[in-house]
Amino acid sequence: MKVNEYYRASSLEDAYQKLQASPKNAIVAGGLWMKKMGQSYDSLIDLSKLGLDKISETKDEVIVGSMVSQRDFEDSKIVSFLFAGAPAFAVREVMGVNFRNLATIGGSIMGRYPFSDVITGLLPYDVTLEFYPAQKMSLEEYLNYKGKLNAILVAIHIKKGEGKGFFKKVKTTALDFPIVNIAVAKVNKEYRVVVGARPMVAARSYKAMEYLNNGGKDFAKAAELAVEELSFMDNKDASKEYRVDLAKVYVRRGLEEVSK
Amino acid sequence: MAIDKKNMKVVNNKTHSIDGTALMQGKGKYTDDLAEQGSLVIKILRSPHAFAHIKSIDVSEAQKLNGVALVLTYKDVPHVSFSRAGQGYPEPSPHDKFILDEYVRYVGDEVAMVAAIDERVAEDALKLIKVEYEVLEPVLDFETAYENKSVIHPEDGIKEMFPIGFDPKKNVAASYEMQVGDVEKELAKSDVVVDETFYSQAQAHAMLETHSSNARLDIHNRLVIYSSTQTPFHMRRIMATTLGLPVSKIRFIKPRVGGGFGGKQAFHGEMFCALTTLKTGRPSKLVYTREEVFGASYTRHPMRIRMRVGAMKDGRINAIDCRSLSDTGAYGEHSLTVFMIVGSKVLPLYNKVDAVRYGGLVVYTNHVPAGAYRGYGAIQGNYALESTIDILAEKLGMDPKVLREKNSMKEKETSPIFEIMGEGTKGTAMIMESCKLPYCIKRGAELIDWNKNWPRVKVSDTKVRGYGMAIAMQGSGIPFMDMGSCSIKLNDGGSYNVTVGATDIGQGSDTLIAQIVAEELQTSVDNILVYSSDTDLTPFDCGAYASSTTYISGNAAWRAAIKMRERLIKEAAEYLGEKPENVEFDGKIFTSKDKTVSLYDLSVQWLYNKNLHQASVTESYFGHVSPPPFMAAYAEVEVDLETGEYEVLNYVTVTDCGTTINPMLARGQVEGGIVQGLGMACYEDVKYDKKGNLLSNSFLSYHIPTHKEIHKLTSEFADSYEPTGPFGAKSVGEIGIDTPPAVICNAIYNATGVRVHTLPITPEKILKGLKELKK
Amino acid sequence: MLVKFYLNDTLVSYDVRPDEYLSETLRSHGIKSVKVGCNESTCGSCTLLVEGKPVMSCSVLTASIENKHVTTVEGIQEEAAKIAYHFAEEGADQCGFCNVGYALVVYSLKKTIKNPTDEQIVDYIVGNLCRCSGLQSQLNAIKAYLKEE
Repeated sequence: MKVNEYYRASSLEDAYQKLQASPKNAIVAGGLWMKKMGQSYDSLIDLSKLGLDKISETKDEVIVGSMVSQRDFEDSKIVSFLFAGAPAFAVREVMGVNFRNLATIGGSIMGRYPFSDVITGLLPYDVTLEFYPAQKMSLEEYLNYKGKLNAILVAIHIKKGEGKGFFKKVKTTALDFPIVNIAVAKVNKEYRVVVGARPMVAARSYKAMEYLNNGGKDFAKAAELAVEELSFMDNKDASKEYRVDLAKVYVRRGLEEVSK
Repeated sequence: MAIDKKNMKVVNNKTHSIDGTALMQGKGKYTDDLAEQGSLVIKILRSPHAFAHIKSIDVSEAQKLNGVALVLTYKDVPHVSFSRAGQGYPEPSPHDKFILDEYVRYVGDEVAMVAAIDERVAEDALKLIKVEYEVLEPVLDFETAYENKSVIHPEDGIKEMFPIGFDPKKNVAASYEMQVGDVEKELAKSDVVVDETFYSQAQAHAMLETHSSNARLDIHNRLVIYSSTQTPFHMRRIMATTLGLPVSKIRFIKPRVGGGFGGKQAFHGEMFCALTTLKTGRPSKLVYTREEVFGASYTRHPMRIRMRVGAMKDGRINAIDCRSLSDTGAYGEHSLTVFMIVGSKVLPLYNKVDAVRYGGLVVYTNHVPAGAYRGYGAIQGNYALESTIDILAEKLGMDPKVLREKNSMKEKETSPIFEIMGEGTKGTAMIMESCKLPYCIKRGAELIDWNKNWPRVKVSDTKVRGYGMAIAMQGSGIPFMDMGSCSIKLNDGGSYNVTVGATDIGQGSDTLIAQIVAEELQTSVDNILVYSSDTDLTPFDCGAYASSTTYISGNAAWRAAIKMRERLIKEAAEYLGEKPENVEFDGKIFTSKDKTVSLYDLSVQWLYNKNLHQASVTESYFGHVSPPPFMAAYAEVEVDLETGEYEVLNYVTVTDCGTTINPMLARGQVEGGIVQGLGMACYEDVKYDKKGNLLSNSFLSYHIPTHKEIHKLTSEFADSYEPTGPFGAKSVGEIGIDTPPAVICNAIYNATGVRVHTLPITPEKILKGLKELKK
Repeated sequence: MLVKFYLNDTLVSYDVRPDEYLSETLRSHGIKSVKVGCNESTCGSCTLLVEGKPVMSCSVLTASIENKHVTTVEGIQEEAAKIAYHFAEEGADQCGFCNVGYALVVYSLKKTIKNPTDEQIVDYIVGNLCRCSGLQSQLNAIKAYLKEE
């Protein structure tokens, strides 16, 4: 990895102008695994002076700055009151504390990595991403957005509500990417079902959710609907068949848990 | 004569590592910490192809790059075949490697070398080297390697040092056959015969310090190399021969080493550092990246092992027939020795058979080369044999513990295999003077509550706990081949300098040596100043491998201490005007009747006042036997029947390694071995793509156990005394790693009815098996 | 570029490349206690403290720590010796390459979480790989250190 300039942005506008200045300019978030990717950059743009590392709340939502570290997110009192802390369950399963002190929530989302635990863990909830220049879209819209979004992620808004959540990362050891990950939640009496790392990036199962939210009581059937709707693939970590088997079990177990 | 352990004050007593505090405080100097400021940084251009011939190579652009000091290709280095294995002389491994060659034989093989003022310039220079390859058809499945039309070593100039079955035209690095009795006849007579085949993977050592070396010239123009090595003396010899230098021109120094486990027995970057410094006159260094450690150093030999075991209805095992196929990858380092241990340190466990046979081939493939790795051969063989014994027990309707008790090695017994099989050569007959295996089996069963729990306990509709066991043995050095030595020098004031060739690679041998010497000289460990592994300053030692350090180097240190004690008493007797047999020495004071003199006073006088001389001794030791440590191991695993996921809840071991010189370090060796063995059994999967690229080449894709996987280890030692060992000790470095694959395989079977024949035992394989059982 | 930061409470100013990582900067300035085991954000050997929090120094751009406080093991020598005592008591010390990272992580844990549960301890240290020990001995040693007044 080679970088010509390390640029400490003085404002979001300043950072945005710098980002526009060259296709080889990039925002630096946590910086993890960056050198493994082996790219060269003209300027790396540092947002650390912009106060984006705070977690705050309003009556309706929790607002997480994009530069909040994964560790601060999981340790946050504010987040712990949100569905009994469920949106942070996934973060706790990411590598070790010495990693999560660096990795940011914003960085985890912007990359839309197929192996992301953070995205799977957040997707059951009503999450809106706030960008600069002013633009908002739901997390799900962003995941489905075609191409690279030419904007800076400023904050993640998580809508408050009643309910609870479940998250499972199937892995070989603690320092591993997920073989598959599953997040299930009951948000204001409405079921949400998400499966990620299939090995594609997380997605909600609308068929399972529709069945459950129209009175469907058979969780095993809901799990079947989820694996029918979502696509799964082989890769070096697991076969498609095994991923499907795991998703079925853990969607069912998750639903059992959140329905209690 | 056995020494009562109760009288020992230092040996067998809790003693902290002599370097532990400094290492925790960051004061330990490892190889790269000692590179000269301003060293040229060496980087290696590595092959992108699994098998290719270099048609042309153009380094002119790289040489022109500002900051590049040296570029070397096969055209620029001595064309002398050697083995990187880091073994004694003559090596039982084929000389099939050149420093650089016109053939590349695996993805990651060395193509060229660049030395530059810094890492970035060196990396830029690598990109400027233009190579035209003739891509050849690789052999990527070791079961098709034998007599494959692709010959991996077609070149001239390669050789075996003595007959090892080397047949490169057939892709055979080594082969071996032995038989005691008539196996086919005994199998035909048996009431029950089981026939099972197992596959084990190319485990990675994954030591935390990557392979590192650096070089400079001293004021006498001699080459001084710091290396993260297990074998500094072998390195010096092999380098001298290969580069055509006299041994006197080379000095190897081993500083602190960040783990080895066999991986650092071999050469990695040392030849390139030496060539760079010799050719440029400038200091140089080479530190492997983590990816290079995974993809371009060494692995364990993957194997296919077929076990046929025959027994009578009453549980008497008649015959064992074992055939192996071993994949040595692109080069044949340790090909024969690893292969032989599958037989020699596994099959004697069941020594009451009427016939036993072992044999097969070690083949070349275009994979990352395999080499020495802790427990080599034994862990592969143990997985196959100890899984098969459980299968046999079930067929016989017996408790596998009872079957093992009935057939396994006992004290004062032997096996004909010891005499037939050594490491690459004939072996040495020996009687088991110490073997507490029956106790280990019994005690381990108590600790896991075997009689109550075996084979399984149901926890819920989806969770079940399975219990499995295995037994194992190792050796203690290689008889008549491994030698260690030790010098002791008395200082004024009564402290002792102890210099040993023994190679501390983190296992704590410096501490152990200090304890042995302190015990014999009746002093404290802090009075013993150990310096080790410097080919200029310390006496010879073969190095840290083959579970030799405690037994071989420890015996050398013990002998030196005994001799020093005799010397001191003799000289004190002269001073006191008495006969030596009338003088007592308590470590500080020499006493004879009413006369006394202190070691303190004598040591000062000898250097400054009277009878001026330096009191010093040197002793060496080699084994006449290789007394095996033994172990019984048990595990409790909990399996999720819906997903195949499982956790190892408790791993119980009882070990007979003779006297534990340092009980805490011995436990560290056993438990560290177990966790590495659990890694191989459960998590550490090796994956290549279809073109021979290693996919599991980082800690993110190759999973060693972490704190979240290890729940409980219960480790005990048997009360045992080996008469030939120092203070009754045998080795303990490797035995811990041997059992987990078989134990976990047996426990998973007992929990689920699924027998996994291919390592690692992944949840996916278990679930697949469970689904097949339902059909 | 010039970067100023506090190294064990002493203000230092180093001239670094914009793409230089903290482990590289410190080692090139003679702080060889920083051990690099993988150089790819995984093994944890290079862990040190930035603003008191454990981070992998192979993955922190030196440019990003302007004005921040960096603690290496040189800054916690007494605590490291206490941790070493417990490692020795439990037989948890071997090659030592991962130990410096452990010392800093464990010290930070003691400062950060009072009376942690076993689960919290394991969570805090899981990002530090060790290939020598049986891991359990390390955990026991760490628990004994955390209990020290």
